[in-house]
Amino acid sequence: MAEILQILILGLALGGVIALMGSGLSLVFGVMRIVNLAHPALIIGGAYITYLAFKAFDIDPIAMLPVAAVTMAAVGVVLYRLLFQREARSAKYSEMTVLLTFALAMMVEGLLGSLFTNTQRVTSPDYATAAFFIGDVFIPKGQLYAGLVSLAIIAALSLFLKYSRLGYAIRATTQNREAAELLGVNVQFISVLAFAIGIGLAGAAGSLVSFVFSFFPAKHWEWIAMLMSVVVLGGMGSILGTVVGALILSVVAAFVGTWIGATWSTLTFFLALFIILLVRPQGLFGEKPEMA
Amino acid sequence: MTKLLEVTNITAGYGDGPAIIDGAHLTVEPGKVHCIIGPNGAGKSTLLKAICGMLSIRKGDVVFKGERLNGLRPDQILRKGICFVPQERALFAKMTVRENLRMGGFILDDKKELERRIEGILERFPILRERADQHAGTMSGGQQQTLAMARTLIIKPDIVMLDEPSLGLAPKVVQEMFDIMKMMSAEGVTVLLVEQNALMGLKNADWGVVLDLGRTLFEGPAATVLADPRIQELYLGGKKAA
Amino acid sequence: MTVTLQDSSASAVIEARRTYNEKLSRKTDQTRATWFPLALLALLAALPLLQFVGNYNYVLHLVLFTASYVAMASSWNILGGFAGYVSLGHAVFFGVGGYFSGMLLARYGISTLITAPLAGLVAAAIGYGVGLVTLKVRGPSFIISSIALLMIARILFDNWHFIGGANGLTLPTNDLTVQWAKLPYYYAMLAIAAFTVWSAYKIKHSKFGLGLRALSKDEIKAESAGIDTRFYKVVAFALSAFFVGMAGAVWGEYLTYLRPNIFLLILVSANMVLMCILGGKGTIAGPVIGAILIVALNELFVATMGASEINILGTGLVMAIGLMFFPLGLVGTLARSGKLPRILNWD
Repeated sequence: MAEILQILILGLALGGVIALMGSGLSLVFGVMRIVNLAHPALIIGGAYITYLAFKAFDIDPIAMLPVAAVTMAAVGVVLYRLLFQREARSAKYSEMTVLLTFALAMMVEGLLGSLFTNTQRVTSPDYATAAFFIGDVFIPKGQLYAGLVSLAIIAALSLFLKYSRLGYAIRATTQNREAAELLGVNVQFISVLAFAIGIGLAGAAGSLVSFVFSFFPAKHWEWIAMLMSVVVLGGMGSILGTVVGALILSVVAAFVGTWIGATWSTLTFFLALFIILLVRPQGLFGEKPEMA
Repeated sequence: MTKLLEVTNITAGYGDGPAIIDGAHLTVEPGKVHCIIGPNGAGKSTLLKAICGMLSIRKGDVVFKGERLNGLRPDQILRKGICFVPQERALFAKMTVRENLRMGGFILDDKKELERRIEGILERFPILRERADQHAGTMSGGQQQTLAMARTLIIKPDIVMLDEPSLGLAPKVVQEMFDIMKMMSAEGVTVLLVEQNALMGLKNADWGVVLDLGRTLFEGPAATVLADPRIQELYLGGKKAA
Repeated sequence: MTVTLQDSSASAVIEARRTYNEKLSRKTDQTRATWFPLALLALLAALPLLQFVGNYNYVLHLVLFTASYVAMASSWNILGGFAGYVSLGHAVFFGVGGYFSGMLLARYGISTLITAPLAGLVAAAIGYGVGLVTLKVRGPSFIISSIALLMIARILFDNWHFIGGANGLTLPTNDLTVQWAKLPYYYAMLAIAAFTVWSAYKIKHSKFGLGLRALSKDEIKAESAGIDTRFYKVVAFALSAFFVGMAGAVWGEYLTYLRPNIFLLILVSANMVLMCILGGKGTIAGPVIGAILIVALNELFVATMGASEINILGTGLVMAIGLMFFPLGLVGTLARSGKLPRILNWD
């Protein structure tokens, strides 16, 4: 019983971080129909920003989170203007953007690789290796903090989307871009905004990832399928779905990892992705079957 | 004769593609129902999209109340008072009727005023009140079209442009749509309509415009357009019409 | 306001309509030049004669490497170009082919040159099975599923001890002297590349190919026109895995070792996609030209900047630029503007 509780807690804490990693991906797809394969590579970008600050000035990774988020959001604006703005009216838009973001992922990987080499990195604040104990169950502080911060950020994002005027506009654009435009929403601005928020979330996730996982530039290939499975399970474009998908899958993966073997825990995500795409492509909360 | 909107000699197309309309012109007078007719691919929808800012205008001018609209975004043009309902009706299928109406007033800053206007719309269109809390996507075609047209009234626009409001509707329902249009124009809202069913459209309009191959061939009072033998032959399906 | 409808107005429209219709019906007047690829092939077949006058192993290696990608890109083109299903997981079939023939070589000493067609069949069978499952979805979902396929294959190969796991296997080398050691693989790869390009041409111009192109435009309409789209797609997937598997088989023995991080690399998949896009998706000459361009570019990056990270950066950059500015590729762009030189029109 204690073992099950232990695995559950580890899975949930990790699930929180994965939810944050996936939320930006989901938002960007929802508003712009861009399947951003470069999202994990940009998360790694955020992780390096945090890592550098930690190594050079001993700045705490969580304290560095806003900086990483804002920096990556700015990167997002530039990327949007350079890569996606002109594609907005392309006929094969969705396929085109997948390939473009794939190219972008390679560029980011290559750039980070030439700057920082492919050595495994990790930031090591004190809490990264510490843990709370409740009876026999231990909760690693690093994962717990990262999970809680992630969920707090996602909660703030959800409130913003639900109650602010801009959030209202973002949701309307997600549902029907043309209609939103015709009703007075500046969809160009909303697109840039949503893209910037999405990439900013990648930056924020990067800060947390930096002490939860070890990372190197090529690591993002492992994450893309993992995040895709989370986002697709939840339903592309649905933030709530992403959170639920992340929690479910990472708990399942934690059980698989403990009981069957660590190798198979990663496989859980990929197999899940396969199965979801085939059985229910719109995901749990998705309302957009045209994705399929 | 006062002109509300004047389109002179415009050229527009999609992306880098060929020009769909090339040399189209149009005059819109306040308070009337204007009907654009022409065969498939003539550029009727494209013309409306160019006016409302969804397509960039390559040449020519769109002048509204003496102000050039070229290069403005759809949201900016909407704020000037031109509202467009595309063929797909631009509804939010997963939002309720009431939420759709609320989105219709997105550009209004006064929330209380918005709610008051929504009430007014529901008052005038009983069918919408009946369905107020139903998802727009679950309604019939005619009801959806009614909602799309009613929604434009929330911001009290000067011009409402409708792209084939009769598309896919039963004949009886089509007449209801035209009745709504007449009501709109009686209230001083100018209607600019694209209609595939040329005869029906012209009969319900004050002003007719014939568009083909991206050019305006002719514009004039609807009755004159209807009566012209050449137009009857080319665009109204033979000489039987009168 | 008086209304006048001039006679000229109506007749001008009639005239314009006629011109418009003529423009539509005008056939593109281009004859293809099949002699050019044949001449190129003959030239390459004679190339090893250079070995009599010196050591041109590097040149042979480059041609062999290019030929392998010509085969893979042309093969990818059957699914990605004709049928419109972009796969980023085709490296899996490269790996399957390489490992299947490689294992036969390691265990029983049978050269991959003999077992390559068999390796192709195994890859095709796996492609058929995978296609049955993943071709239910299209667009971005299909692309993502193909990446997942590659990830799954990588984990399986990395952990399958029978085939050497992540460390891979070393294969026996042949007995030829250094000067001639490359030749069997050189000719084998050249033959595979030529066979693939020829097959792609035959497929494109068959009824089957027509069906694929129809479903790439609009699957529902293709279906209502009586095309069994599901069967067509799955067969296209199997075919496009077949040639990649053959290339993988020969490549393994040529390298003399098998390792997951050489075969099951997303960069390998990306290269196939990139070559087709750059050369011209759906054309016959496109993947060939794309392969030549990318291999040349790779050599340039490696020669001038060395690091493989720069190579990845460069590949990504070229891909992005190609996608944004030449979405139809070299052949496609030239053909659309009517400027395609005859020697590049193989369709």
